[in-house]
Amino acid sequence: MGQITATLGKTIKEFLRQKTILFWTIAWPILWVLIGSFSFVENVPNEVISYTRGAIAVSMSVFALMTAGMANLPGNIAQDRERGLLSKLMSMPINPWRDFVGRILALLAFSSLAAILVTLVGYGCGARFSYSPIGLLQGIGFLLLVSLASAGIGMLIGTFIKHVHGAIMSGVGIAVVTAAISGVMTPYPYLPWLLQQFARTYPISSSSSSITFLLVGEDYAGYNPLSASQITFTVVISLLLFAGGLVAYSRFCWKKE
Amino acid sequence: MDALNVEKLTKKYGDNEVLKGVDLKIAEGEFYALMGPNGSGKTTLASIIVSVRSPSGGKIEIYGKKPEDAKGLIGYIPQESFSSPILTGKENLMYFAGLLGYSKKAAEKIVNELLNKIGLSEDANKRVSNYSGGMRKRLEIATALFPDIKILILDEPTTGLDPSARRKFLGLIQELRKEKITVLLITHIGADAELASRVGLIDEGKIIAEDEPEGLKKASGLKDVINIETATKSEKVAKMLSKFSEKKKVLETDVGYRVYCKDVEESIPEIVRSLDAIGCKATKIETEKPSLEDVFFKLTEKMIREVS
Repeated sequence: MGQITATLGKTIKEFLRQKTILFWTIAWPILWVLIGSFSFVENVPNEVISYTRGAIAVSMSVFALMTAGMANLPGNIAQDRERGLLSKLMSMPINPWRDFVGRILALLAFSSLAAILVTLVGYGCGARFSYSPIGLLQGIGFLLLVSLASAGIGMLIGTFIKHVHGAIMSGVGIAVVTAAISGVMTPYPYLPWLLQQFARTYPISSSSSSITFLLVGEDYAGYNPLSASQITFTVVISLLLFAGGLVAYSRFCWKKE
Repeated sequence: MDALNVEKLTKKYGDNEVLKGVDLKIAEGEFYALMGPNGSGKTTLASIIVSVRSPSGGKIEIYGKKPEDAKGLIGYIPQESFSSPILTGKENLMYFAGLLGYSKKAAEKIVNELLNKIGLSEDANKRVSNYSGGMRKRLEIATALFPDIKILILDEPTTGLDPSARRKFLGLIQELRKEKITVLLITHIGADAELASRVGLIDEGKIIAEDEPEGLKKASGLKDVINIETATKSEKVAKMLSKFSEKKKVLETDVGYRVYCKDVEESIPEIVRSLDAIGCKATKIETEKPSLEDVFFKLTEKMIREVS
């Protein structure tokens, strides 16, 4: 076993055994898939209803990744700091980068599990997708970008908000509010102009639209998020958020006083 | 070679000087207790030794190495309970074994040995949230007992433990001494410090006295102490008792007061009469040998711990 495997194992067990984490990351999105798939499609023509359900499943899978990165990760960091584990780790011959990699791998594994479960429930509710193998791979790439951007925001929260509940609730709050106003939860065409601009700028909603575009169809994305400039912008901002979170975590959480 | 050598260590936070040139030497295999009240700098000193904080000045050597290079030799137990409550005891130890680079097979073997040593083999697969405070502390001490660790630094390990768990925990520390592990115990509890081979008293960022427990008591000049348990505590009672005490100072305890008289036998009847006169009922009066808390009080005129 190495440091990465040890941290990965510990973190993923902690994710899987905490009811609040399971609720916000898996049960809550599944609940909305169930509600959305049956209540929000009354006026949708029969021939497209399964794709509408597909779009709902994509949105809620993205939301699951958002809560995993923005709430679970900072909650885990804040918890380890609050109970003195980070001090203990700082006293040991440990490489902080390996601790970080272990945490991120655990987050990606848990996020993947959540997204798969949410998608499977969507599929069980009648969601259908229309995609090519390349489109599927590109979709997975955008899911990874969602995870990285969410993890970046999560690390910033976990670094600067010291208390566990504060960190978790801040993450949940940011995830819920930004998902609601950026087109992740609300269809892009229904957003006012200003929020449509935000939806294109916010890398998570832009990635979400890209996944919907690739796996469900252009009509469901509301605009073409796959222009070269939009993709470049989404990738750069996602990576910048991740890098910002990483710098904050490594500089402040592991900093000697 | 000294296990730990601290010279002229200082630590400042802005204008606040928390450590004011601390010198400390601990020999290999020694059990040293550093005792002082909250805010005296003892936790800051421990956290600098274990590389969690940086010093402002001075020098630290652990087996002749800089603290950063000696991390593998130190087992540090911070004040907080750092084990994960939703993992089992064994999973917590396996995590630390993994961090230290043990293979899964080697980790299993060492962790089982450690669980046996701390008496938690039967509860190894229970979640830590189901452990008592004492069991959790014993589990945490096991994280500092992996092979190659030579110095154990325990920061207030018995705080919050009930008397039985505290005794069990201290018994475990005594057992470890047989393995020649050097122990630095940070505490504000005199009875815990009594177990050490040497005690340092720290106040306002300086070690003010250092010796074997009995040596410190002898040097303080304190003889017997009158320990009085009262039904109620008040300024009036303390003021009255102070008349009987050396330098007119009495130490307030959780259940009453400690009075330092030159002639204990003569003073007790008078104290009883005076307490009666002011309507305070003494539930227990006894003479005791001075404790390390009394010694600290004598030297600083400060209580080492806040009374409840």
